[in-house]
Amino acid sequence: MERVALVREAVKRLLDSGQVEGVLALRTVGPGSAPHLFHPGDSLDDLTLWPKYPLPKILDMLLAADPSVRLGMVARGCEERGLIEMAKRNQVDMNRIRLVYLACTAEERDECCCSWPYPSQIDVGDKVEGTADALVAEHERLSLAERTEFWKRQFARCIKCYGCRTVCPQCFCETCVLEDNLWVEAGVLAPPFPSYHLIRAYHTIGKCVGCMECENACPADIPLTVLYTLLRRDAEEMFGYVPGRSLEDLPPLAVETLWQTGH
Amino acid sequence: MTNSIPEFDETDCFLITGSNTTEAHPLVATHVLRAQRRGAKVIVVDPRRTQIARLADLYLRQRPGTDVAWLNGLMHVIIQEGMYDAEFVESRTEGFEELKAAVAEYTPERVEAITGIPAADLVTAARIYAQAGRAAILYTMGITQHTTGVDNVLSCANLAMLTGHIGRPGTGVNPLRGQNNVQGACDMGALPNVYPGYQPVTSEAVQAKFQEAWGYAPPLRAGLTVTEMTDAAYHGAVKALYIMAENPMVSDPDLNHVRAALERCDFLVVQDIFPTETAEFADVVLPGVSFAEKEGTFTNTERRIQRVRQAIPPLGDARPDWQIICGLAQRMVGMQPTREGRFAGWEYCSPAEIMAEAAALTPSYGGVTYERLEQGSLQWPVPTPDHPGTPYLHKDRFTRGLGRFTAVAYKEPAELPDEEYPFLLTTGRMMFHYHTGSMTRRSEKLEREVPEGYVEISPEDAGRLGLGKSARVRVISRRGTIETRAWITRRVPPGTVFIPFHFAEAAANLLTNPALDPIAKIPEYKVAAVRLERVA
Amino acid sequence: MEYRNVLTTCIYCGVGCGLYLQVLDGQVVGTWPAKGHPLNDGRLCVKGWYAHSFIHHPERLTTPLIRDQKGGPLRQASWEEALDRVAQRLMAIRETHGPDAIAFMASAKCTNEENYLLQKLARSIIGTHNVDHCARL
Ligand code: SF4
Ligand code: SF4
Repeated sequence: MERVALVREAVKRLLDSGQVEGVLALRTVGPGSAPHLFHPGDSLDDLTLWPKYPLPKILDMLLAADPSVRLGMVARGCEERGLIEMAKRNQVDMNRIRLVYLACTAEERDECCCSWPYPSQIDVGDKVEGTADALVAEHERLSLAERTEFWKRQFARCIKCYGCRTVCPQCFCETCVLEDNLWVEAGVLAPPFPSYHLIRAYHTIGKCVGCMECENACPADIPLTVLYTLLRRDAEEMFGYVPGRSLEDLPPLAVETLWQTGH
Repeated sequence: MTNSIPEFDETDCFLITGSNTTEAHPLVATHVLRAQRRGAKVIVVDPRRTQIARLADLYLRQRPGTDVAWLNGLMHVIIQEGMYDAEFVESRTEGFEELKAAVAEYTPERVEAITGIPAADLVTAARIYAQAGRAAILYTMGITQHTTGVDNVLSCANLAMLTGHIGRPGTGVNPLRGQNNVQGACDMGALPNVYPGYQPVTSEAVQAKFQEAWGYAPPLRAGLTVTEMTDAAYHGAVKALYIMAENPMVSDPDLNHVRAALERCDFLVVQDIFPTETAEFADVVLPGVSFAEKEGTFTNTERRIQRVRQAIPPLGDARPDWQIICGLAQRMVGMQPTREGRFAGWEYCSPAEIMAEAAALTPSYGGVTYERLEQGSLQWPVPTPDHPGTPYLHKDRFTRGLGRFTAVAYKEPAELPDEEYPFLLTTGRMMFHYHTGSMTRRSEKLEREVPEGYVEISPEDAGRLGLGKSARVRVISRRGTIETRAWITRRVPPGTVFIPFHFAEAAANLLTNPALDPIAKIPEYKVAAVRLERVA
Repeated sequence: MEYRNVLTTCIYCGVGCGLYLQVLDGQVVGTWPAKGHPLNDGRLCVKGWYAHSFIHHPERLTTPLIRDQKGGPLRQASWEEALDRVAQRLMAIRETHGPDAIAFMASAKCTNEENYLLQKLARSIIGTHNVDHCARL
């Protein structure tokens, strides 16, 4: 059976089980797709899988809108890992979520240059191995001065759409530092280098799971994930921490007591 | 636009002028800069060193209002160095000899004296543009909002035809329209001189066509433009104004004059979603709805017709604007003798039915239906139901057959700085607000970013006036005075100041000069003379 | 709980980016850029990202308003009364001063259909070509 048909079946089973009020997935719209909350009894014929949207971010909003609701979601590897990091920071309650686990295809993996294109368990799809981002390797060959020059040139194109921040499932601060005049002078284009972009980059440490949503949303085509991938690798080397690997791992920047009482 | 935005991915050279592209048309800038990374050259000619100017391969800073001079200068160099497309000029155009004669005197040195653009840079720009495989001109209001606006546009067209950079993908003369549906409003005949589809009101055949369709069509005489309407209201010739979702009390030049005109109107109707500055003068206010509460279509700057879809029901008692007009029309029709015509009725069930009628009367929209738009957008002309639409115009011939060169001479702006008003004021848009601000200034995030107006002033001038960072400053022109905040920046050269027009409380248009281009009737928003005073 | 996305077109600049309005239980709560759209393919500028944020603003006009005399206050009115008032006043002015004493400003922010209707009303009912919008501004 086709992959999408298998997902529809799995979603239908989950909806019929009565465990959730709805399942968050994608719906076909014209040539594209859009996030949609499917309910029991809904036709699932237009449920689709690609292009993906940041579903964990939407799930967070829906769970917050109604503290009693339980929801399902079709989750790729990055989306499951994203939810895990969000759960650690009390953004989502895993007990209120049921996932349909989906492994990405080789084409989908290549589009995201994804190093980890499968979830912790697989309901639908076949596991394909991850790939390395060629841009990251290229970047590593640059000297420090060349790197500064490279990012200066990239960030000069930034039009401060805040899209990278707004799509990011891991950006959930009530007040965003990027909107604090103390750190980033408001109204200026391109935003001041390097504060705007480095603040965001540091905020991804220990959280960014490489879902690619920011880079795909960037109207300036800035290879943001190169920066975040390097930071992720550093965090792993220094602290042995891999975002999204498990609910139990303690984030490197968390204070232990806070973290424990939070659960 | 003659061409389409996605085609820019194939363009080799962009000549961008009078366009703050990354701020006013951000997603066009995306395509331009993508092409640049692929090797395309970007030339920006603008008095302000905007973000796109800083990102350009070549940036030329002209004195505001001198566009005909540098455009003629480019053509002078191109003809001198034999870089024009002789075959295109021969087979597709007429009037070349006149053009050649007219640009002969615009030597780079003379152009430098008029515009301030270094002669060598002008020559470099001419070579890059002329020798590119596919070159596109992009411009916006920086070209049109002058008393010489039409001359400026004609000069851009001359340049494109001279080099054969038109009628192929990725080339063309591409005015980027500022507002989301300004193209569509023009297409639909919201203009005083044409019916839908640019069918002239002065043509008897066209009049007969609409007489037959609607049961009545007015005499063969063009009506008033927006600026003329306010004038006529001021002088008493216009007694009633009906304003749908426009805000002349912020957007029009010389606001003190607009205010007096609105006050003198016998009857003013404002249809809008917010209590705008203009609604303060209204006798009747009719609540329309936002784009989230109605169905319809918009036509973008590249003639692309796209759907607007209803997401939520109208708020409160508000009504979709099309229903308001229908309700009004039905009442007025009832007060008149019956009119016979295929489309004389006003009983529409949906915007899809309105589009069906508009399409039947608008040749370039002839093949547009909501069913087709479900499958994606369409670019007009789409004359028939099986026509695929037209991504770029003038492929094998111009609308009038041969393209005509129009020789144009440089003329000075209507008002230039003098002793009393020593600064040149230019106005425009910025990233975080839109037009008169009635929507963006009610958007928390956008308003946080830039909560008040400002005047951009060079560090040199700020120093002379004793202005520190964010100092309060009074800006005075022959028509009015505003108080605002100084933004000291190298974006503007010494002698020039810039004010965005989105802020009603420090409205740039209290200062602007209502002098019009004689043909397009567009006001000279880009050049006025002002004086600055520090507020103690 | 109802959550859906409605594909529509940005209302700000002339580019016309495709975007989704996110609707949660009858409220527009956000936008998403439309992936695969020929112009913006998953991107928006900051105005597009916040194109939803004025929709539920408390200052929205939600009922017709009438000013009974110049300089006086606006008061709430029914649609019946407001539309009757406009129709009668416009027709009276047309009667006394002729069709060209009335002028219409259409809008670059309204839809094609609405612009079509307003110019049709101006031309076929009032009988004037005094219809324009701020294309030049
Ligand atoms: S998405 Fe790109 S353009 Fe937008 S703020 Fe982030 S880096 Fe800047
Ligand atoms: S999102 Fe920005 S670039 Fe796109 S149409 Fe809206 S205002 Fe224009």
